[in-house]
Amino acid sequence: MTINYKKELETAAKSMILVHEPDVLIKMIARTIVHRIKVSHAAILLHEKDRSTYVLDISKGKVGVKIPAGFARMDTDNPLIQFFLDSKSRKIFNGGPFLLDKAEEILSGDSDDVAKELLKGAVHQIGIYESVVCVPSYFRDELLALLMLGKKSDGSAFGQDELDFFMALASDVAMAIRNAQLFRELENELEKKKRLFFNTTVALAAAIEAKDHYTHGHTNRVTSLGLEIARKMAHQNKTYADAAFMENLHVACLLHDIGKIGVPESILNKIEPLTQDEWVKIKEHPVIGVNILQSIKELDEVILGVKYHHERYDGSGYPEGLKGEQIPVIASIIAVADAFDAMTTNRVYRAAKSREVAINEIQQLSGRQFHPLIAEVFITLCREGRI
Amino acid sequence: MIVDDEADVREFAASFFRKRKIEVEVAGSGEEALTLFEKNKPGLILLDIKMSGMDGIETLEAIRKKDTQVKVIMVTGKKPEEDEACKRCEELGVEGYVHKPLELDELERIVLKELRP
Repeated sequence: MTINYKKELETAAKSMILVHEPDVLIKMIARTIVHRIKVSHAAILLHEKDRSTYVLDISKGKVGVKIPAGFARMDTDNPLIQFFLDSKSRKIFNGGPFLLDKAEEILSGDSDDVAKELLKGAVHQIGIYESVVCVPSYFRDELLALLMLGKKSDGSAFGQDELDFFMALASDVAMAIRNAQLFRELENELEKKKRLFFNTTVALAAAIEAKDHYTHGHTNRVTSLGLEIARKMAHQNKTYADAAFMENLHVACLLHDIGKIGVPESILNKIEPLTQDEWVKIKEHPVIGVNILQSIKELDEVILGVKYHHERYDGSGYPEGLKGEQIPVIASIIAVADAFDAMTTNRVYRAAKSREVAINEIQQLSGRQFHPLIAEVFITLCREGRI
Repeated sequence: MIVDDEADVREFAASFFRKRKIEVEVAGSGEEALTLFEKNKPGLILLDIKMSGMDGIETLEAIRKKDTQVKVIMVTGKKPEEDEACKRCEELGVEGYVHKPLELDELERIVLKELRP
C-alpha cells in the first residue's frame, strides 16, 4: 500500500491546530510514524532548556528496542547533538535527516573536509538507539527535538518521499513546541503583570487605611462582601459577573475610598460631629478618587465604581445625584457592601450596630438608598449565612 | 541482574545488555530479586530505588544480609545529593548510581567497567 504523505501531513497539520499540548501532538506523530510508515521503532527526544539536555519523551515500537519515556537523555555534549548544533557538519546531509548508511559511507571514504571524529561519535549514538535515521527538528537555528527512527519493518530503505515526510513532521514538532513555549511564556507574563497590578492596588488601598484609622480592615471586608454579592447575582441571573467584571469589581472595592487620601486627617479621624464644611470635604472623596485614577484608561469601569459608590437609588446621594439604573451596577454593589461594613463596625463617634439591625436597615432602605435587586441579593446571602 | 518494577524498563535494559553479550536476568520486584539472587548469584545488580512494594533500599538491605560483596548500582530519578535514600545506600555499600534519564553510552560504560574482572 502506498501512503499518501500529503494527506498524512494535512492530518498532522490539522491536529496541530486542534491540539495545543505539544505532548499530545508528539505522541500522535510518533504513532503515525510507527503505524503508517511501519518502522520498527521511533523515539522523540525533546530539548529541556533549563537542564541543557534532550530527554526521551516518547518511544513507540518493538518491545526491547522501545526505550521507556524518561529513561534516556542526550546532553548537549553528546556527539549526535553536537553534530546537529554544528552548522558545518550538518551540511553533510544538506540540512536533512542523518542517514546511518550515508554516514558510514563517508567515514570509510577518504574525504578530509568533514569532522570525522564527530561524525563517528554521532554514528555510535545512532547505533546505541538502534536507529538508521535521525531527523532534527529546528526552530530557526535552535535544535528543539530529535526523531530517532529504526529500520523499516519490511527491510527496505527509506525513499526520498518518506524522508521528506519526516522532515515535514519534524518541522511540525518544532512549531508545536515553539508555540506551546510562547503560549506558556505569554501566560506567565500576563499572570505576573496581573499580580503586579493587584499588589499595587492592595498597596494603594493600604495607603488609605494608614491615613484613616477607623477604616482598619474596612477595604478587605468591603472587597469580600462586594465579590460575594456579584457571585450570587451571577448565579441568579447570569448578567453581571464575567471575569472582567469580577476583576474590575475587585479593584474598585479595594480602591473605593482612595480619594480619602485627599481629605485632611483631622477630618477623617475627628471624634466630634462634623461641621457643614467638613462634610463638604468628606463628600469630595469620590471625585478626588476619580482624579487620582483617571489617567489609567484601563480602569474605566473601576472609576465608575469609585465615583458613584455614594450615590443613592432615590437620587439623594453624591457626587451627582444619579438615580436608579443611572447608577452603574459596580457602584451599587460597593454601596451596599460599604454601608453594611460601616454599620457593623465601631467608629470613633459611635458604636457598631448589631448584624441583625444592619440587615434590617438595608432592607428598610432598599429602593431608597440601595438598589432593590442588590439589597435583595445581599439579604439572601445574609439569610443563607454566607455573610 | 536488573531489578525494576516497570516492565518497559526491564525489557529495554535486558535487551540492551544482551546485545552487548552480557548475560542478563530480570526481576520485577524486590522479592523476585532475592529469589533469583539466591539461585544465580549475579555479578552485578542494577537496582531501581523507587519500586512499589519492597523498594530498592529494602531490597538492598536484604541482599546485603546475604552477601556483602556483590556489586550493586542504584538506578534513581534524583541526584544522589538530593536523595535521602542515597545516604542509606552509602551505609549499605553500593558501587554507584545512574540517574534517569541517563545517557545510554554512560550506562554501557558503567556496567562494562563493573563487570570487568
